[in-house]
Amino acid sequence: MKQALDVQNLPTPKVEEWKFTNLSRAIPANLVDEDVQEIIIHKASGEISEQPEDISVYAEDNQHTQHFLKITLEDNAEATIIERQSGQGAYWKNMVTQITLGQNAKLHHIRINDDTLEGVQTNMAHITLARDAVYNGFSLNIGGKLTRHDIHAEIQGQGAEASFNGVNLLNGTQHGDTTILIEHQAPHTQSNQFYRTLLDDKARGVFQGKVHVHQVAQKTDGYQLSNALLLSPDAEMDTKPELEIYADDVKCSHGATTGQLDEDPLFYLRQRGLNDAQARLLLIQAFVDEVVDKVENEAIREEILEKSNAWLSEALQ
Amino acid sequence: MIKIKNLKANVETDEGDKEILKGITLDIPEGEVHAIMGPNGSGKSTLSYVLAGQEDYEVTNGSVELDGEDLLDLEPEERAAAGLFLAFQYPVEIPGVNMSTFLKTSINAIRKQRGEEELDALAMLKLMKAKCKELGISDDMMKRAVNVGFSGGEKKRNEVLQMAMLEPKFCVLDETDSGLDIDALKIVADGVNAMRDGKRSFLVITHYQRLLDYVKPDVVHVLAKGKIIKTGGPDLALELEEKGYAEFLEEAA
Repeated sequence: MKQALDVQNLPTPKVEEWKFTNLSRAIPANLVDEDVQEIIIHKASGEISEQPEDISVYAEDNQHTQHFLKITLEDNAEATIIERQSGQGAYWKNMVTQITLGQNAKLHHIRINDDTLEGVQTNMAHITLARDAVYNGFSLNIGGKLTRHDIHAEIQGQGAEASFNGVNLLNGTQHGDTTILIEHQAPHTQSNQFYRTLLDDKARGVFQGKVHVHQVAQKTDGYQLSNALLLSPDAEMDTKPELEIYADDVKCSHGATTGQLDEDPLFYLRQRGLNDAQARLLLIQAFVDEVVDKVENEAIREEILEKSNAWLSEALQ
Repeated sequence: MIKIKNLKANVETDEGDKEILKGITLDIPEGEVHAIMGPNGSGKSTLSYVLAGQEDYEVTNGSVELDGEDLLDLEPEERAAAGLFLAFQYPVEIPGVNMSTFLKTSINAIRKQRGEEELDALAMLKLMKAKCKELGISDDMMKRAVNVGFSGGEKKRNEVLQMAMLEPKFCVLDETDSGLDIDALKIVADGVNAMRDGKRSFLVITHYQRLLDYVKPDVVHVLAKGKIIKTGGPDLALELEEKGYAEFLEEAA
């Protein structure tokens, strides 16, 4: 027997670890609880999957769905997973992702978030990396009334590398939140965060990225960059870059910008014959493409570019 | 070809509007190369921006006609389609847009405005290769983002490449020589000279006489404090170089 969702136990502003997002206000009323759906992907030691694997995370109108995605790559395994988030009508998808990478394992994890404008997605991912493992994540976020991506990566083995790249394209009253905590727990580890956010109308973007370098994690290389472009005076970007470093021989950098398109490149392009709208579109596409370029698989990269260009052409009309 | 009449322009500053161009009159007939020389702050770059339609400057008086068409009523891209090309003093870096996409978009945007058929990928590639070869630019540069990480010489050569590809009627070169060593200067000058066909007109803005050894002007104008104070032949540039701006301006005053 399916039950109505009990909203009383949702996080409140007092729950510090949650870094508050007002879920009670965002989630649609009268949702019905669905059973937990599990997706399990397991690659045995040394197994190398050449072909990308698609997984779909879907909810229907009025549903409160719960998903558990478990990806395990044993030592030396390699895989590319495309996670497609979509749905129909008003819903709340709540998801937990557990990714475990063995020694020298390599995972490309691409998320395409194309939720409905009434759909809410909350997604908590926990990733652990053993020695020399590589996690290469990319997220395209073009849908959802509210999307909250929490990522907690623990780089446990030396030589391991975790990258989180993403593009958020939001308009209307959409809210997109990316909250990342990366823990460097071993020496000679590397992490990269590169997010670009484009906000129009009254959309709101959040980027909170924290790099925590433990005392043992000497020679850590941590890089973080968040750039946001505001196309409307009512759009809002909240950025909180954080570094917490306990080792004394590390290289960490972070940067965050929020602004409008520069006038100089616009004028340069117009002097070369492009009208104002064409020049803006070209510059914004370039802003997005620089992150999409991080996607290694060519077919997936093309698909993402197609989707983002379609979004831009429509939104910038 | 190009007729500038009593052109005045302001720029907005913290202390209110400031007049930079104080009545410039200039007539460049078809096929001629005119040079404008002047000290820093004389209004040289402002003139080039005003001709190209940069919105930071407000034209308060005068007219600019290109083949009888008033440019001042046109948007920057319409001026480009009408045949005006500005080689920038500081070419702008555009991260994420590679050269070949940029050139293709630019050429087709102009062709479309002129009512001409757009070039297909193959025709574009041929044109690009031919012009690059003429200017000694490697094909690799076409894969790089526009001006990003280019040396000073590469940036200026890139301006000349764009000029060659867009085939304008009237070219304004804004201090294209500054920051170039002599070899880069020669390449840039050769590129400009190759485009002198007896029809196309040039306005070469420079601080130094050096460039004019390689691009021979028909007429030299001296600009100071927003006005043309003297006009003469190529010898005027030499005289200016010899005396220096300070003495020259004193004598002229």
